[in-house]
Amino acid sequence: MLWVLLVGTVTLASPLILAAMGGYVSERGGIVNIALEGKMLAACAATSLVGFATGSVLWSLAAGIASATALAWSHWLLTQKFRVDAVVSGMALNALAFGATNFFDKRFTDPTHIGEMPRLPLGAYQALAFALPLLLAYGVRRTRAGVRLMASGSDPDKARQMGVEPVAVRFWAQTVTGLLCGLAGAMIVTNAGRFVDNMTAGRGFIALAALILGGWRPVQVGLACLFFGFAEALQLVLQGTDLMGAKIPSEAWSSLPYLATIVALAGFAGKSRAPAGLGKV
Amino acid sequence: MSLAVRLRGISKRFGAVRALESVDLDVEAGTLHALVGENGAGKTTLMRVLYGAIQPDAGSIEVEGRARRFRSSREAIEAGIGMVSQHYSILPQLTCLQNLMLGAEPGAWIAEGAAVARAEELAARMGFRFDWHADASTLSPAGAQKLEILKLLWRSARILILDEPTAMLSPADSDALFESLAQLRSEGATVILVTHRLPEVMDHAERVTVLRGGRRVASMPVADTDARGLAELIVGHTLERASAEPPGSLGEELLAVQGLVVAGYRGDDAVRGADLAVRAGEIVGIAGVDGSGQRELFQAVLGVARAKAGVVRLFGEDASKWPPSRRLEAGLRLIPEDRHEEGVIDEWPLLENAALGLQRVPPLRRGGGLDPGVQRDVAERAARAFDTKHGGLRLPMASLSGGNQQRFVAGRALQLGPRLLLAFQPARGLDIEATRRVYDAIRTLCREGGAAALVVSFDLDELLEHCDRLVAMRSGRIFEPPPERAKDRAEIGRLMVGAA
Repeated sequence: MLWVLLVGTVTLASPLILAAMGGYVSERGGIVNIALEGKMLAACAATSLVGFATGSVLWSLAAGIASATALAWSHWLLTQKFRVDAVVSGMALNALAFGATNFFDKRFTDPTHIGEMPRLPLGAYQALAFALPLLLAYGVRRTRAGVRLMASGSDPDKARQMGVEPVAVRFWAQTVTGLLCGLAGAMIVTNAGRFVDNMTAGRGFIALAALILGGWRPVQVGLACLFFGFAEALQLVLQGTDLMGAKIPSEAWSSLPYLATIVALAGFAGKSRAPAGLGKV
Repeated sequence: MSLAVRLRGISKRFGAVRALESVDLDVEAGTLHALVGENGAGKTTLMRVLYGAIQPDAGSIEVEGRARRFRSSREAIEAGIGMVSQHYSILPQLTCLQNLMLGAEPGAWIAEGAAVARAEELAARMGFRFDWHADASTLSPAGAQKLEILKLLWRSARILILDEPTAMLSPADSDALFESLAQLRSEGATVILVTHRLPEVMDHAERVTVLRGGRRVASMPVADTDARGLAELIVGHTLERASAEPPGSLGEELLAVQGLVVAGYRGDDAVRGADLAVRAGEIVGIAGVDGSGQRELFQAVLGVARAKAGVVRLFGEDASKWPPSRRLEAGLRLIPEDRHEEGVIDEWPLLENAALGLQRVPPLRRGGGLDPGVQRDVAERAARAFDTKHGGLRLPMASLSGGNQQRFVAGRALQLGPRLLLAFQPARGLDIEATRRVYDAIRTLCREGGAAALVVSFDLDELLEHCDRLVAMRSGRIFEPPPERAKDRAEIGRLMVGAA
């Protein structure tokens, strides 16, 4: 039971960490990103559909990453070039992802097809997810790219005065966000076996909550993701158990991760510090 | 002498505004060249052209004898030009070392040890000390200024442009800055100093160029002029002496602050036991570097920040528990620090903005609403007080330039019977002429209207010129000089930095 809980936590926290680190790179560069959810969902669908169609791990993963990156670049184009509010742009991209994945899934999935989706071992995703916060924490301080990313998100005008081009920095930041959200989506679909409509089920928003809860610091954000992953795993383990003789419907247990998110945000988010230049162009 | 910078016929238009019209500038290598002029004269625009941040419509740039055409600041930096802008480009969320390197990092991977070693070497050359891994938010204004200079050295700049570098510094820190600049010049650097503080020009510059309305009106050795002559060149006509005769007899105590403690936004106390009294008829100036607690003191007197301890007495009554509305009704008025954040609502017309903050003051308040006649009258008088240029009272505030908004906000504070005026940098964004008129109006109000004023400014000379007496604020406390030295520059400067 304890072992199940531990494995469940690691497996369920990993896509959260990948997505939250994607959000970290985006928001540290100064672009609010509420479209982590949409990017993950698009990656789930693309990975699954291309995987079944080609039977190639490589193509399926590439498709997942490409779909999420396309959405990330759209976000960059809308917010940086056309000056659309990042929340509006994020909402639009989420809506687009919900609708498009549903459509493509219905249109291109062959229900008579029997077989396995080609997949990478889960361990590969898990290893990357757990190494990433440390890599980012180090890289943001010790690389030119990291320093310029922080500068762009902290005050784009001042960064520009120092010869940094925030809009270009943010393009690369969005590319990384797309890559990481793509991997997060690919992992979710790898774990599940195939695409199911709306299978991310709000995990992109939980990752965003973890980002806020962790105060936009990679290691702390990773720990917040672990906490939310634990809540998800606990929910699965507790399904069907009774609480002090009372029968608990399974839907109530399912809501546990979301409740944990609300409580955590209400309790701790006030103390966290956002990048100062968030949303400034 | 060789020329470090030679500008010829620089012109630049912004829409319908001619910011620069065929301006020439010659700066000799190894000198400190001052560039002076009123707000909007084109000083900063000219320097941004030289720094590559603005492309001129016409004209040529020569740097160290070579013709240049900069398409970006990056190219100017490569040509050896560095600029410190007025509002510093230090990013508080980065460490000192990251700030130092930003835009000129040694490579894709940053070898921390080597970077710190080079930073230390530069700092030692200037006699500065930094904790390189501390957040830049911990720097004092003087520390930030020093870091800005090191940033120029890090980029191997030979021509240093400093835009109003002493605006936020105490006199002692300003002197230290000029010592550093003298040392850099002895090592071959050229400095262009943009300033509105004429004593600095007289004391430290070799040559001075005066801009007015986007044109160069004079360029000469500093030895050939004096502060008064420069001021007249800047304004374009002779100046009347400010009539700062001391007040006659003072009236009742309008404001008394006793043992005031106010929390700052970071959690520690910003005001730590301040005492101050202001009596009818006088203008009291609070000198001090930015962040000494001036902001929180004003907020507590206005009632928008809660005092943790101490008493605020207004007009003879204990007002500690009064809400801001009651204080305004009783005659308290504010010229706020940041007119955009605290003074006006950009989207609202001037007419509505005129009533902001006065909405509960009779006769503007009538029953549950506003009297439209009085409102129009207040708006008209607020606009007329300092010749605010506007296209109609029904146009939004955002249609006014910054200087005109400041004029309007200052004019509004004088309406409907003010008894105590709190003015935070009332001359912010105003030229010499308008500054003098605002202070003259405040003086008239105090001398003839029986009111009093409390003024905060980071420009000690401005306070010395216009206030009746000065106190210094440092680390949340107020220090009063002995009465006979209430306008002694050296004494106030000592109190500001806490030197014995």
